Amino acid sequence: MAAIVHPQRVPAPAYAAPKPEATGLWSWLTTIDHKRIGILYGTSAIFFFLLGGLEALIIRTQLIRPENSLVSDQRYNELFTMHGTTMIFLAIMPMSAAFFNYIVPLQIGARDVAFPRLNAFSYWVFLAGGIILNLSWFFNMVPDTGWYGYAPLTSIMFSPADNVDFWALGIQVLGLASLAAAFNFIVTIINLRAPGMTMMRLPIFTWATLIVNVLIAMAFPAITIALALLSFDRFVGTSFFSAYNLVDGNLITTGGDPLLWQHLFWVFGHPEVYILVLPAFGIVSEIIPTFARKPLFGYAVMVYALAAIAFLGFGVWVHHMFTTGLGPTVDSVFAGTTMLIAIPTGVKILNWVATMWGGSMVFPTAMLFAIGLVSQFTIGGLSGVMHAVVPVDQQHNDSYFVVAHFHYVLFGGSIFAIFAGIYYWWPKISGHLLDERLGKMHFWLQFIGFNMTFFPMHFLGLAGMPRRYSSYGEESGWWFWNVVASIGAYLIAISILLFLYNVARSLRDSRRAGDNPWDAGTLEWAMSSPPPVYNFRDIPVVTHRDPLWAEKYGSHAVPADEGTLDVTLGGAKVGEADVADEDPGKQIEHRMDTDDTHDIHMPNPSFYPLVAALGIFLAALGLLVNNPWITFQLLSLPSLSVLGLLIMIFGIYGWSFEPAG
Amino acid sequence: MATAIELETSHGTGHGDDAGHGHAEHPPTSTGMDSRKLLMWAFLASDTMFFGALIATYMTYRGRSEELAVPPYPFDILDIPYTSISAFVLLMSSLTMVLALSAIQRGNYRGLRVWLLATALLGSIFVGGQYFEFTEFYHEGLTLQGNMFGGSFFILTGFHGTHVTIGIIWLMTLFVVSLRGGLSREKSMNVEIAGLYWHFVDIVWIVIFTLVYLIPYEEVENLAEPAAQGYLWLSTMASYAGSLIR
Ligand code: HEM
Ligand SMILES: [Cu+2]
Repeated sequence: MAAIVHPQRVPAPAYAAPKPEATGLWSWLTTIDHKRIGILYGTSAIFFFLLGGLEALIIRTQLIRPENSLVSDQRYNELFTMHGTTMIFLAIMPMSAAFFNYIVPLQIGARDVAFPRLNAFSYWVFLAGGIILNLSWFFNMVPDTGWYGYAPLTSIMFSPADNVDFWALGIQVLGLASLAAAFNFIVTIINLRAPGMTMMRLPIFTWATLIVNVLIAMAFPAITIALALLSFDRFVGTSFFSAYNLVDGNLITTGGDPLLWQHLFWVFGHPEVYILVLPAFGIVSEIIPTFARKPLFGYAVMVYALAAIAFLGFGVWVHHMFTTGLGPTVDSVFAGTTMLIAIPTGVKILNWVATMWGGSMVFPTAMLFAIGLVSQFTIGGLSGVMHAVVPVDQQHNDSYFVVAHFHYVLFGGSIFAIFAGIYYWWPKISGHLLDERLGKMHFWLQFIGFNMTFFPMHFLGLAGMPRRYSSYGEESGWWFWNVVASIGAYLIAISILLFLYNVARSLRDSRRAGDNPWDAGTLEWAMSSPPPVYNFRDIPVVTHRDPLWAEKYGSHAVPADEGTLDVTLGGAKVGEADVADEDPGKQIEHRMDTDDTHDIHMPNPSFYPLVAALGIFLAALGLLVNNPWITFQLLSLPSLSVLGLLIMIFGIYGWSFEPAG
Repeated sequence: MATAIELETSHGTGHGDDAGHGHAEHPPTSTGMDSRKLLMWAFLASDTMFFGALIATYMTYRGRSEELAVPPYPFDILDIPYTSISAFVLLMSSLTMVLALSAIQRGNYRGLRVWLLATALLGSIFVGGQYFEFTEFYHEGLTLQGNMFGGSFFILTGFHGTHVTIGIIWLMTLFVVSLRGGLSREKSMNVEIAGLYWHFVDIVWIVIFTLVYLIPYEEVENLAEPAAQGYLWLSTMASYAGSLIR
């Protein structure tokens, strides 16, 4: 029995023929095609990644010798704030969004996401947020209070200029983009699966996407409210995050609590680190089976582990606050939950290893980066468990040891996986392969540079070097490892240049990659590279996980979920695996070809999402450029903001009443 | 295997944001639930967290102004009978919302318009009442800046009031669309989704009303001594969980 059957066309009403794919600037501004939006997300994210990298290089150059004066203290604060904020919100998150957009609809056998215009809106709003944050450079009012923006440093009293407002409004707008996209992907994955694509047949990357977007939907509200309250403190003069308030010239003790900020921030912040790393887990869970030439070990357990991490992720935020004096009881509880979360994380790592175990491994660049994640993330996970121990953390806190930890999980985890994903899916997206020799040079240089940069930070942290200081004295004894770290950073920079060169070369390459260059098993490899606008000419019917493998190698190679087999660990049942019960499959009946597609209906492009996003951009900008310490009267609100809101409402109404085509 | 059956549940483009202005029949989805309805559920789950964060903030500062003796105090300001009436009005609007939905499902477009208008009207009475309440409190000295009670009260109830206002605009939009003949029986989903939102906003008000108005505040005279510890509500919950474990 074939894994994918195309006996009948999915019955469809007589729709008009899809228009040929348009080109030109206007077509990109009005596009609602998930693949194009994915490309927009990806290119913007790479741009911001380079920007954030540049900021990091300046930081490392400043620290290359004691008492250096390359940048002022103020500039240094701005650099590390913008570096962190950029990498998290403008590089890793949108890069993940790029993969969600491009890959997920293909993997589940859909023509697009559930709400294509909302999808375009998400992208434009994201771009608006990125621009707002970085406009601060032009006004020389750059955010300077760290990516966590601790109160009361962010209050008007200590940060009177607009720096904090650029940060708060920028992230606020970015959060809106993430929320809109999250709802869209949740609905897409639940509702647009191809026939037969049950939840337990979803590719694991799609599972990771679903769970990450649930995390975004549930965690971003906390930061949105926190930022809104902060903006109220700053614009309207409330005192949510400071104990005192100046009312009519009198200083009164209102009893606002700066710690409330930390609670709200980290209730968002810890889930956020999983928002950053779970897509990475999803990516390597696709790549490792492909290049170990065997299905993912313990699929169901991997899904449960993802869900467990996401769930537990909401109950550990206080581990960022062990030094704020919440008391031994609170600290112990959160130390416990924090250690607990290492269990599902460890399960995932062991399952990747078990997938590779006994496989016929091949090592293209994508696989090297994936294994890079498995090894480097583990180091970061281990230092994480170390500072789950409260007394230990009280030594680690605010030292370079923490910087080492989160770079091992974010760079060694997310960034390595993002590169793995780029090398893996690039042929599908561009139609061309990336050069393997250059790719391997990129990998090894980045791997060595990364470890040179961040491993010594463990030593520096334990030797007492604090985070966020623009300089250190020669007598500190920290010079040597700082030099090593800075050299490592330059190596990373060179490796990234190699990567960019590789990409540029591949785009001019005349050789085509073919539909399925890696002989992978998931549906995105079933169509041409790059895929046609409508993705699938016929919506496939799925009967197995890894449908292409089932079809090619027979379903005995791929477990079907008709029968199940218990998976045991140490004698106890930990999950179920599926047993094959069928004959080897037939070839896919026909490939997607471009003729005979007259009954495929694709929605029309629309510029309303862009208009609505523009309105939001202007509304936020209006609050910034007038530098308004306004009283709360409607009339004194900056007119630009009002104009922006009107444009936004126009966009939303235009969009609701425009026929979808 | 069951491919024939599976084919019946297959879908075409499945994109759902034509807001009922595209093709009359929506392609079936994997779950059978309309995509826009699922979107609304996802949004409401998220919105719960928005209110959750604001309610946590309110509860963190509940009693803070009394402890620090920064008036005005909630027990001097809040008018429970007055707000009970407006809460009742809002609850009744859920009833008229249900009637609007059932009207369009039965193809009774006049009834639909009547009940939509009634719901919007009841909602407006609620918002108007809140506007009056806010003005009154302001004149009694309660401000956003003056103490924590004022700040957290205005933000929480104001956020809710904004939700109701958006709901009213939405209902009026549906009303106008219906007047112009754009809301046929097949598009009852448009009303159903607005209804989901409306009921949610109502339910949230029950929670806010209970926490902000009904649960009594300790009078200043009865406060034994100002609690020196500014424990946050969130961490209080955490220590409670901790004491259970110990
Ligand atoms: C095994 C799982 C993990 C554990 C037990 C863990 C534990 C911790 C702890 C206790 C801290 C606070 C250290 C301090 O400030 O004193 C911390 C900080 C941090 N962790 Fe993790 N972590 C884990 C995984 C991750 C992951 C997967 C990421 C991101 C992908 C991550 C990102 C961060 C970041 C960004 C910080 C620093 C935040 C800041 O202060 O700016 N962690 N981690
Ligand atoms: Cu954390």
